[in-house]
Amino acid sequence: MALISNLLALRRDPRILKLPPYLSALCIIVGVVWLLVLPLNEYSRNTYISENALLPGQVHTYFGGSEHNIFRAYRHEVAGLVGKPIEERSQRLGEIFKSSNLKVATQKYEYHASSRNVSGQNVYAVLQGPRADATEAIVLIAAWTNMDGEINHSGVALVLTLARYFKRWSLWSKDIIFLLAGDSTAGPQAWVDAYHDSHSPAAIDPLSIKSGALQGAVAIDYPAGPWGHRFDKLHVVYDGVNGQLPNLDLFNTAVSIASGQMGIGCTLQRMFQHDDSYQARLQTMLRGMISQGLGHASGPHSSFIPYHVDAITLQTVGDGWHDEMSLGRTLESLFRSLNNLLEHFHQSFFFYLLMQANRFVSIGTYLPSAMLLAVNFTITAIALWVASGRSDVPVANPASTSRSPAPKSEKAAGESEMTVLKTGSSIALIPTISLTITERHLFLPLTFIALTHFLALLPLYIFNNAPESLLDIAFNTTAVLTSILPTLAAYVLSIYHRPTQQEATLIQCFSLLLLGMFLSALATLNFSLSFLIGIFAAPLTFIRHIPLPTSPTSSILSKNRKPVSAVISLLLVAINPVIVIRAATLYWGKDIVEVLVQAAEGWHIFGLWTQVVVWLVWWPAWFAGGVVVARGMFS
Amino acid sequence: MVSFFIFLLLVAVTSAAASSDYSERLLLRPLPQSALLASFNFRSNESSASFEHQNFRYFPRSLGQILQHAHTKELHLRFSLGRWDADSWGQRPWDGTREGGTGVELWAWVDASSEEEAFSRWLTLTNALSGLFCASLNFIDGTKTIRPVMTFHPEGHHHNSSNLHLLHGTLPHEVVCTENLTPFVKLLPCKGKAGISSLLDGHKLFDASWQTMSIDVRPICAGDGSDCALEIEQNVDMVLDMDRSKRPRDNPIPRPAPIEEIACDASKPYNAEDTCYPLDKGEEPDWSLTDVFGKPIRGACPLTNSDGDGSETVCINVPPERSVQVNTKGSYVESKHAEDTMRCYQLPTGDDFDLMLPSQKMTTGLVRSQPPLTAARSINGHGQERGSIQAVITNPSLTEYVEFVYLESLPWFMKPYLHTLRARVSTSTENPVVETYYRPAVDRLRGTHLELLLRIPPVSTLTLTYDFDKAILRYTEYPPDANRGFDVAPAVIRLVSPQSQHSSRGTYLRTTSLLLPLPTPDFSMPYNVIILTSTVMALAFGNVFNLLVRRLVGADEMDAFGPRGIKGKLTGRLQRLMRAFKGKGGKAE
Amino acid sequence: MAIDQQKALLFGAAAAVRLLLFTAFPSLPNLLTGRVEISTPVTSFKRLQEGVFLYTHNVSPYDGGLYHQAPLLLPLFSLLPNPAYHPFATNVLYTIVDLLGANALMQIAETGQTVSSRLFTSPRKDLRWSSLAIGASFLFNPFTIATCIARPTSALTNLFVLIAMAKASQGASITFILALSFASYLSMHPILLFPPLLLLCYNMRVTKARTPPNPWAYTLSHVGGLALALVALLYTSALLTGSWEFLAATYGVRLLLPDLTPNVGLWWYFFTEMFDSFREFFLGVFWLHAASYVPGLTIRLRKQPLFVAITLTGIFAVFQPYPSIADATLYLSLVPLLRHLFPLMRYTFLASSAILYTSFLGPAFYYLWIYAGSGNANFFYAITLVWSLGLSIIIGDSLFAALRDELDVERPELRGKEVRRI
Repeated sequence: MALISNLLALRRDPRILKLPPYLSALCIIVGVVWLLVLPLNEYSRNTYISENALLPGQVHTYFGGSEHNIFRAYRHEVAGLVGKPIEERSQRLGEIFKSSNLKVATQKYEYHASSRNVSGQNVYAVLQGPRADATEAIVLIAAWTNMDGEINHSGVALVLTLARYFKRWSLWSKDIIFLLAGDSTAGPQAWVDAYHDSHSPAAIDPLSIKSGALQGAVAIDYPAGPWGHRFDKLHVVYDGVNGQLPNLDLFNTAVSIASGQMGIGCTLQRMFQHDDSYQARLQTMLRGMISQGLGHASGPHSSFIPYHVDAITLQTVGDGWHDEMSLGRTLESLFRSLNNLLEHFHQSFFFYLLMQANRFVSIGTYLPSAMLLAVNFTITAIALWVASGRSDVPVANPASTSRSPAPKSEKAAGESEMTVLKTGSSIALIPTISLTITERHLFLPLTFIALTHFLALLPLYIFNNAPESLLDIAFNTTAVLTSILPTLAAYVLSIYHRPTQQEATLIQCFSLLLLGMFLSALATLNFSLSFLIGIFAAPLTFIRHIPLPTSPTSSILSKNRKPVSAVISLLLVAINPVIVIRAATLYWGKDIVEVLVQAAEGWHIFGLWTQVVVWLVWWPAWFAGGVVVARGMFS
Repeated sequence: MVSFFIFLLLVAVTSAAASSDYSERLLLRPLPQSALLASFNFRSNESSASFEHQNFRYFPRSLGQILQHAHTKELHLRFSLGRWDADSWGQRPWDGTREGGTGVELWAWVDASSEEEAFSRWLTLTNALSGLFCASLNFIDGTKTIRPVMTFHPEGHHHNSSNLHLLHGTLPHEVVCTENLTPFVKLLPCKGKAGISSLLDGHKLFDASWQTMSIDVRPICAGDGSDCALEIEQNVDMVLDMDRSKRPRDNPIPRPAPIEEIACDASKPYNAEDTCYPLDKGEEPDWSLTDVFGKPIRGACPLTNSDGDGSETVCINVPPERSVQVNTKGSYVESKHAEDTMRCYQLPTGDDFDLMLPSQKMTTGLVRSQPPLTAARSINGHGQERGSIQAVITNPSLTEYVEFVYLESLPWFMKPYLHTLRARVSTSTENPVVETYYRPAVDRLRGTHLELLLRIPPVSTLTLTYDFDKAILRYTEYPPDANRGFDVAPAVIRLVSPQSQHSSRGTYLRTTSLLLPLPTPDFSMPYNVIILTSTVMALAFGNVFNLLVRRLVGADEMDAFGPRGIKGKLTGRLQRLMRAFKGKGGKAE
Repeated sequence: MAIDQQKALLFGAAAAVRLLLFTAFPSLPNLLTGRVEISTPVTSFKRLQEGVFLYTHNVSPYDGGLYHQAPLLLPLFSLLPNPAYHPFATNVLYTIVDLLGANALMQIAETGQTVSSRLFTSPRKDLRWSSLAIGASFLFNPFTIATCIARPTSALTNLFVLIAMAKASQGASITFILALSFASYLSMHPILLFPPLLLLCYNMRVTKARTPPNPWAYTLSHVGGLALALVALLYTSALLTGSWEFLAATYGVRLLLPDLTPNVGLWWYFFTEMFDSFREFFLGVFWLHAASYVPGLTIRLRKQPLFVAITLTGIFAVFQPYPSIADATLYLSLVPLLRHLFPLMRYTFLASSAILYTSFLGPAFYYLWIYAGSGNANFFYAITLVWSLGLSIIIGDSLFAALRDELDVERPELRGKEVRRI
């Protein structure tokens, strides 16, 4: 406490107020640099298996021989089903499962998102482990079509063959569920929702057969046609919905089995050529962060992860000499390892950044970078708070009891307090955080912030529910509107000579405080998203409301505040979230409508939260900043 | 014919004379999907008079003394593993009366004057049995013991049922294995040396898809209640997967068969030497006792009576057209029952006995009796805070209502909300719950005990759901594998009506057990938690009382109170040093 | 009169907000009821429903580990229609409870006991907010609204505590004793508020009556009255449930903490990780610690008994075994009464931003621990630590301000000067 009170004594030092901008800048720079040094050997670690029960690659695999012939036959069967009606397809696949004495069931599902209709049928079979008591299960998934829309011929055939082969083993201590999903995203989601009975019964069938608690899931994506195709590497996809990640142990087990036991190289984040250089690592990490930040479903495994079921997708890439049998043996070995599990995955990391198949950074190492970004907003917010309390009169002792200011301002304060409290600000204490003796007029700032966030609900609703045909128009209009809205708002306010200098400062203070708070909370849930938004919102720390020139000696800025404000407003438009999204889509050559549709599907099917963060956290902060600056254009 | 097969077994069971005798029977029954049901039944009884005088002939002495010591009048003990697949295997053997939930299940009628005495005797019983069967039965404590009211009824004839107390306990997590089988076989008169018990081998038994061992002790009396006898019945029922159990023990690994041995479907257009669609021949597989059990029967157990229906020791229930070859040097007698679907054999004494069934294309299959009810239970929702149990019970019968008792015994750390209990029938809106018995759990003292009397109309499904909370335990109460979760005992279902036409014992079925993940604290840092929490409290306490006991003065008056704060102390020290130094200097001069 | 119109407007708006939330989001109440931050094992509405269900089906709710709330609640809530099907009556009840609480709070504010009592008058006595503002700060505090929607029984406790304070600051002995006995009967710990409130009541009595009553007789009569009321309540409960086992199931649970469900307090994780052999010892220590504030504060600040009572509510919000934000909201809505102390407080921004941060980070970390499974219990535990720290800083700071305030009266020459403790 003594220390704090010393700091408080410091607080009245005028030099302190000059510090925060530099401090914030420092935070941002350090945060970014921190991220950039992560790929270096000194800061990243080699992956390792923490769960001793897994014993990856310790078993001899027998999948091969005559199974290969059977696999080819099944692959032809699958190829024969292409283009057939869904019912016939499901029924035939079910027969093949039944022929290897498994219990089979099917599930219909249907989703509607932005006037699109996603529907299909899942077929799944349950192998009741001879050593199992129906309390635990592991899932092997092959979607009928993979993420790129190709038919997953060999994947489905491999699952059918493995089901027949696994049935002969007597060592399974968990049930094994073979899931042939109708597609790569909605199908698994519908299945896993129904498995936990959190589905909407109107559009999705319940599951007629269930097993125990899901312990892990592995999806295979091997679209080679009926005549096969030898692949070069395995591409391990691990991003879950909303940026949740599977336990690192599962990933490590897959990698160590594939590369160590089978000699199949592993890649991630589409870095198919990965020389272990700094650039390659950094690129892998950044790609990982972007796909985590977007939080979209990246494969059939994604929908399992929110249910605390660790899952990955193994995707075959390139032309090489590995064939379906080596993939089959990889899966056999992987499932033997999962079968060894005594407890649910819990040993290893859930928060990590991968920069190579066997190199990662754990949360303890990378979290500070995002936190620093969040902190810089908070620092500025505090600084602005102190600044807003400053008047030209020399600051007196906070603990003083001198009866200034005059009672009338006292009374005004009283009114403003009352109104403040009426707005139901997050705590009744806010108005009273008075470190100095000038009273703050908080009514306008708080209502402004509240209204801004409510206003943001509008585009959120529109983009989640607008039909596909209208999305393009909606997006462009939003882009234009949001870009000019700050200036408009500032003009409207300026008619009533608001906000005053102090109010403008307070508006920025509160918006930055909220931004910092949201981002630091978000950093623990979805690091990448928090970091990306933090980067794009960083300029908001440094913009200021330029005051009217008070005296001839006042700064050059305030002398010609209008042009300066105009310029800054224009610059701000460049970091308008909508504009940024547009630019990103252009940069990656994506169709904006497609992106929006995916977002809407994500919202309706997977419970995707990214757009909520964008509209309710990022955009209001930008808008508040814009208004504060644009205010300078009108006297 | 199935009814007949059960009836036959029943004859074997109920023809209990007061005189002490012993009989055993093995029934083999091929099931679909190349499965084989083998149910062993051993039965011996002892007149109660000689039992009282500790004069045991066939009745195992070790068990008998335990029963006498714990004043247990009737005992039922079950060791079970795996699941009975009702929709492909049909009705359960013995109508499910001789099977238990996954793990170990024990219930007994204890003779005691008061609840407390009954419970203490129950503890004695469980501890003694756990020693006898190498199972952790001693972990059946107050939290795992319930007193069912509707589900179980005594099978034996009891004179003074007034002060008989029924206690029931389960250990769902107990893994049944060879160490439980050995003492089980030891209880038999022939100790697995001869008779059908010579087939009981741990490797095969515990490779089965479903297996249950049961011990039932009950007093049976003649109609007038005179000349009572104590009967012990031991059963082993198992469903073997033939493909797995036919695998030789020296080469258990299911390597892919060479392609020559696989029948390919040549009708497929793509059929080639490297492409083979496996053909399902639709034949009954060939098997023999030696294939399936690893050895033949080592002759008859000499203690079984050599004539009468008790003497037909091995029965096989196959369609008449199925050819069965007997392979033995000794003399045996074959007799057929129930339109030749049941063939029974008297074993030769002293010579090995083996049955061989060649693979054969069948025209008529076995009639599977429809189970009267099917039940599935699962946990809905996710997360470690709360969930809900969903039990789906189906009545396949086209004509008649089914009334049954549903018994749940939940651990105390799973806290159900009875007011959220909903029972919905798919076809009607009437409330299927006829009667409810509920005893809520008390933390760390006893578990939840819920019994429901329910009624399902024909061809309809009943869905039973209720919410529950998951408690967080003290970190010393978690098992070593805390993140696996805790097992929840299976629900027991007893049919009230329609009564089973075969037996007075009723019809039972059990759901599978469940895995309940609980929130776990961090086990690594009790000290850190204690330290941090105490620090926060100390901060608040220190701050407040520091203000309360001290008094405030102006900062400018501080000097009046001597040097304060680090600065003051430092300067004071410095001055003292200077003075001392000066003093030294003075001396030097 | 204008003020009444404003008051009616305020109450109408508050009621409208609550009923709107109840009706517009039918799933919201159950969602909030499930939040460990709001409903604890001893206040949860879901457990209350279970208790009522068992009670109406003639199973003793106290012969089980689920229901730990006062017996008199059972007949009260069994009169209401089942909230699972007809929630409206319950919603209205809880809305009314909030409004009555606000009313009591405004009565306290009108008496102005915080700024000028019999023995002490703050030099900043005209620095205070209108009772309307204070009522609004209670009714529109998001924590209060969340509490009302989640319907824990601690809302009733808060109501009775507020009434007790109001009546005490009006010097109405009987109602004060009745309200306090109800509060203590519901959640036990409010009985610790008796000493300061008694002092307050006595002060009022003296200022009103021209012949001051004998303090000893006064004290004895009130203690007797409280004891009588409590015994009456307990005896009716015993008659109602047919046995005394409810004592162990309600107050015993609060004392011994068998149910370790997480909450915003400090106890649950401490006793989850505690070694069994020391459990009883530390239970004793914790209770002693919580109770030790009462004499200390009452004696040192005997001139401002209402301030003592307010601070004690804050202490309870931090240091009682099953705290929730309902207790915090009671304190935070009483703090605006201390408007005259704000200029003297030093760490308010620190504390309030800490509370603000934790109220966002808490749910996030709880989600990580319980649902995502990617974080462990320490995440949430750390947040509860910060929350408690933030509240205790406010408490300590306001205490400092109060003492500084007294100092200004004792030694006017020190006004506006830095002070140190010695």
